[in-house]
Amino acid sequence: MAKNRKNQAAEIRFGPVLKVVLLCALICGSAIGYVWQKSQIQKLGRQISEREAKLKQLNNENKMLADQIAFLHNPVMLDRRAKALNLGLAPAQPTQVVRLVELPSNPAQDNARQFAQRPVAGETP
Amino acid sequence: MQIRRAVLLLVLLSAAFAGLGYRLVDLQILRHDELSAKAQHNTQREYRQAPRRGDILDANGNILATSVPVKTVCADPSLIGSNSWAVAQVIAPLLQLNETAIAQKLTPRSFLAKNSDGETVTNELHYVRLAKNVPEETWQRIFAAMTNFTFDTQGRKLSRMEREFLQNLQWHAIYAEADQLRVYPNGSLAGQVVGFPAIEETNQNGHFVSQIVGRDGIEMAMQKQLSGVAGWRVTETDKAQHEMVAWRDEDVSARDGLDVVLTIDSAVQHIVETALADALQKHTPKSITGIVMRPRTGEILAMASLPNYDPNQPSTISPESRNRVITDVVEPGSTFKIVVVSGALNSGVVKLTDEFDCEHGHFAYAGRVLHDHEAYGMLTTEGIITKSSNIGAAKIGIKLGADELYSYAWNYGFGQRTGIPLPGEARGILYPVSKWYKVSLAQIPMGHGVMVTRLQMQYALAAIANGGWLMRPMIVSRLQEHDGSVMERYTPQRVRQVISEAASKQMIEALKTVATKDGTAAEAAMKNYVVAGKTGTAQKAENGGYVPGKYVSSFIGFFPADNPEICISVVMDEPKEGYYGGKVCGPVFRDIAERCASYLNIPPDPSLTTNTPPLVAATNSGKGQMP
Repeated sequence: MAKNRKNQAAEIRFGPVLKVVLLCALICGSAIGYVWQKSQIQKLGRQISEREAKLKQLNNENKMLADQIAFLHNPVMLDRRAKALNLGLAPAQPTQVVRLVELPSNPAQDNARQFAQRPVAGETP
Repeated sequence: MQIRRAVLLLVLLSAAFAGLGYRLVDLQILRHDELSAKAQHNTQREYRQAPRRGDILDANGNILATSVPVKTVCADPSLIGSNSWAVAQVIAPLLQLNETAIAQKLTPRSFLAKNSDGETVTNELHYVRLAKNVPEETWQRIFAAMTNFTFDTQGRKLSRMEREFLQNLQWHAIYAEADQLRVYPNGSLAGQVVGFPAIEETNQNGHFVSQIVGRDGIEMAMQKQLSGVAGWRVTETDKAQHEMVAWRDEDVSARDGLDVVLTIDSAVQHIVETALADALQKHTPKSITGIVMRPRTGEILAMASLPNYDPNQPSTISPESRNRVITDVVEPGSTFKIVVVSGALNSGVVKLTDEFDCEHGHFAYAGRVLHDHEAYGMLTTEGIITKSSNIGAAKIGIKLGADELYSYAWNYGFGQRTGIPLPGEARGILYPVSKWYKVSLAQIPMGHGVMVTRLQMQYALAAIANGGWLMRPMIVSRLQEHDGSVMERYTPQRVRQVISEAASKQMIEALKTVATKDGTAAEAAMKNYVVAGKTGTAQKAENGGYVPGKYVSSFIGFFPADNPEICISVVMDEPKEGYYGGKVCGPVFRDIAERCASYLNIPPDPSLTTNTPPLVAATNSGKGQMP
């Protein structure tokens, strides 16, 4: 026997509704996700730009400070400053110098090196 | 009726779709290249990443030349409109420039130009340069001032277009391009060795790209190594000209230039320059030069020529301040006697004890009369060096023979460049024997008829100090990255052995007598070291003859004589208040030598020192013990 049409219309069918809701949620979620992702890319891109600029600025500052240290260590500057401050500094006389005789680890190499030849500060071997 | 309407509608729709289809084909296929380029032009940007020019350092890592990041402040007048005066009022005081000049530059204007199709079109000016070498802090102040810039709205609300205009004016009308400024922290110290730069500009798409190019010294000689390689970035920007990092297409970093480490020691250079400056004041010569070299390696610790220049001010540099050590040639005078005497000793033609008749100051040879500055009778070979007898040297030269004399002079490096990596080095003049006059054989041994550079003369004496081995002069020690890692190291190079070690020892014995009370350079003697050296006093040759009263005076020596550590040369051109090499250059040599010995901690000659502190031997355990 066929069902009453009135009763049939009143019946709530959850399956299709759920499907529609899920489909809508998926579409909305994808759209929101897409926009969020784009926004994140934009935001991260801006952060990268800012940090690159900051890094460049810090490198420049670092260079400036290194130059300043180099200038303050410069023997010419130190000589001028010592003279200006009138500290009464004078070079040590040879008779005032106590010398250490170092035993060479590699005599051949040591002979090749001049006494006046100093090791260079900061040189990478 | 209905069918007719339907057909009409169909025709209209078909026509509309056909029109749209054609437009689509037109845009996507027919005009694809043009529109694609236009779209790219709107968003795509290509930036050049300039490399940082390498530093020039001395042997101890002290900076002689460096590059400081600065800004070039530019403007886009098309974004400024009628506000050029208002903007000029804001930025001119910060740039310390004239307000009117800035306002004129900022005034929008157009110019005629040809487009790609060859048609004359009117373009708006988008790029003017306001100031170069602006410090980063100044640019930050300009940027802050511009972002706060506003114009008088008389209380009314700005329209959308006005707001957009103001925003562009605040953020984009004034902008900065990264640049670098070459700085020499020590001013004129070693200025001629380091060299000076010039800015070369190329126009790339309406923007000037500047590059530092060396014009002298190491800056010029090592241009390729110092300059580095530019990088680039191809990326896209949004409407506000902010980079869209995700669309960054190509990103190749610039490769910075290498640091050039010299053999120059700035402390020794300072010692030499101050000593030369004192002598310049005392003797007022036209020029004075000084070189300090390690004879065993050929490393140049100092090279100075006064008058010099400050590379920070290239506009003040004149030809007078050239590096005369390598560019100028002069007749060497008596210093050249070392060539003939050492050659004769090496060939076994003479011994140190052999005696020569110095003819009491007058010797006729090949139709000319040679003179000595004092009348000498019999002198030994050693005595000829001690007293610097021209006649004695001429007689040794005659005994040695022309071919041998030429051969020794050539082997000592005269008439050729030494190979020092500095621009402008002269060869000097050493004629082949076939071009000699008969008298040349007597004149060349006393330093006439040859032209040499100051460096060549030092180079020759350093060979005698180094057991007869000629070492190529070294001025560049190594190339390194900015973090100190070495890319290339230059090692001392032996050129050839000119005389035997035995002959060099004999020659040194003779040269030791020069800086004694019997010699010509008693003033060059040092308190704690035995000095070996030779004086030179050459009359200047001008317009085919010798000019009375004009001399080139010199003293070249090394110490400790038996274990040479450094070789020093001092040369004055036309000194006043005396002109003998030993008298005017000897004291300068001694001054430089004593200060260098103290700085370089060179052990004194045991034979000359008393009350020397005992030597302390270091043991393996690191504790010192008395020997």
